Amino acid sequence: MGFTIAEKILARAAGRDAVRAGDEILAKPDFVIAYDFPGYTDVIFKQMKDEFGIETVAEPERFALFIDHMVPAVTAQEEDLHQNTRDWGAANGVPVYERLGIGHHVASELGYAVPGGFAVHFDGHISQLGTFGMLAIGVRRHLLEAFVRDDIRIKVPQTTRVNLSGTLPPGVMARDVFHNIVRTLGPSACRFHVLEIGGEALRHISLDGRQTINCLAMFTGAITSIMNPDEIALDYAGERARIALDPVCSDEDADYAAVHDIDIGSLEPVVVVPPSPANTQDLADHLGKDVQVGYLGSCASGRLEDLAIAAEVLKGRKIKPGFQLHVVPTSQAIMQQAAEKGILSTLIAAGAFVTSSTCDYCFGRLGVMTEDQRAVSTGTLNVRGRMGSPDSEIYLVNAAAVAASAIEGRIADPRNYL
Amino acid sequence: MALANLRGRIAYIFEDIDFDVDQIIGVKNIKIRDVDELARLAMKAYDPQFSETVRPGDLLVGNHNFGYGHPHYPPMIAMRKLGISGVIAESFSPGYWRGEIAMGFPQIPCPGILDFVERWDEVEVIWQDNLIRNHTQNTERSFEPLPYADLLMLGEGGIVGYLHARNRLEGKAEAAHE
Repeated sequence: MGFTIAEKILARAAGRDAVRAGDEILAKPDFVIAYDFPGYTDVIFKQMKDEFGIETVAEPERFALFIDHMVPAVTAQEEDLHQNTRDWGAANGVPVYERLGIGHHVASELGYAVPGGFAVHFDGHISQLGTFGMLAIGVRRHLLEAFVRDDIRIKVPQTTRVNLSGTLPPGVMARDVFHNIVRTLGPSACRFHVLEIGGEALRHISLDGRQTINCLAMFTGAITSIMNPDEIALDYAGERARIALDPVCSDEDADYAAVHDIDIGSLEPVVVVPPSPANTQDLADHLGKDVQVGYLGSCASGRLEDLAIAAEVLKGRKIKPGFQLHVVPTSQAIMQQAAEKGILSTLIAAGAFVTSSTCDYCFGRLGVMTEDQRAVSTGTLNVRGRMGSPDSEIYLVNAAAVAASAIEGRIADPRNYL
Repeated sequence: MALANLRGRIAYIFEDIDFDVDQIIGVKNIKIRDVDELARLAMKAYDPQFSETVRPGDLLVGNHNFGYGHPHYPPMIAMRKLGISGVIAESFSPGYWRGEIAMGFPQIPCPGILDFVERWDEVEVIWQDNLIRNHTQNTERSFEPLPYADLLMLGEGGIVGYLHARNRLEGKAEAAHE
């Protein structure tokens, strides 16, 4: 019986010849990544010192800190948190990246997505580095272990494999693919597993789309998501990689907990209806619902492909007067590319409010809704209160549907505009 | 590692699959940090008398994929303040699981628990045997064994205690506390 990519990566990280799902091992992360956030990084920095007497980390190059939430700061307290992070980074020789965009994505731009590598973060959306054949796991407060010790204790996860076949129809995006996986498998099918996504359809899904799919793995119950790196992924990650590792792939006869085949060739646009990320339904059943707010951005969506299709929908059109369309590119590099391609000017001409990259629109710190307002969003989540009042609603859709809905002020089918 | 058995009544049974624990205190209260205030608000939507009827040691029961969504810490901070000693569920969502185990709060995966208990039954969680004993109905049921690291973390009261224990067990010196 062969090995999964997750087993191979963890075997190397544990310094062993082989590990199997179920083994409890000590594995050394190649990278320890975090964004600064109250209750996480500030507590970790304090506990390291006060509880364990550790003044500085031994291998600063293994660590990366991002300032992407609370950007720009609106209170002195927030700026204090950021300054504390900068100070800790400077004292430790650990890079602190700020104002470059959302860290989960910027990490890949900066070469932290290394095929065959193992990374940890407290936040599960780091799973998107799986796009490049990296095992990247969000461990919540267990992240302290990675700051205090070289290695962390982990139970080698089982893997659920999903094979995608077919080619996406126009107006249907990677976002729909992911939510359709949740719809098909259920929100707990991959509990505590690695979700491994493959199949011939991946060749036709861009890296942007793959990052979208991997970013949201947690809503299947998976602890992360990964794809065996193909030439496209290796080309991107290889030239940026900060460390030299041999890429690995699952063996043909790898031992999977389950294998699912999903044809994406006949997919329709979907919507994830509040208040649960498990609640995927056909967009067609919700057309015409009034919406006042649109959010195009986040670590899940907001990449060039998303911005480009929104511009295609909005080109030569205007968003409905009074509608609030917030466009927040996932990174500054993406924003620059979109500017160079004229995408931003198309969006601005249509009436979009375009801002520099930040996480803040996704979790209700900026652009908040009041009660009885409803948003179409490419953010990560649709739980109550995520974007403001607990009595507002978030309908998750693809980027094209956000743009189409902005024109009508109602949930709209993007295929009418493409 | 001496992890004390839990014994108490089933103070509440959450029957929803994919239960979002934030509902325990209500989303509008999720940013409250005052523990007494959280405890006062907890369960108002489910059982307004909850805080008066719960006793130290009592346990909660949940359905499949308990803790799904985007779980925050305050709901279970409130529950611990009220004396809840642990949660037994058909199964747990991994993010919730990791978060609460790191806080040293016992979580017990027990397929079949919903058919095994009724509200206010007195049960005991016997770690050594991976067994739940229902003292009210005089029945027993196995639960899924926890990974070593999770048991160590519960025994040591959470992630910080666990790391001290790891250092101790592996003979790694710690600099003196300030």
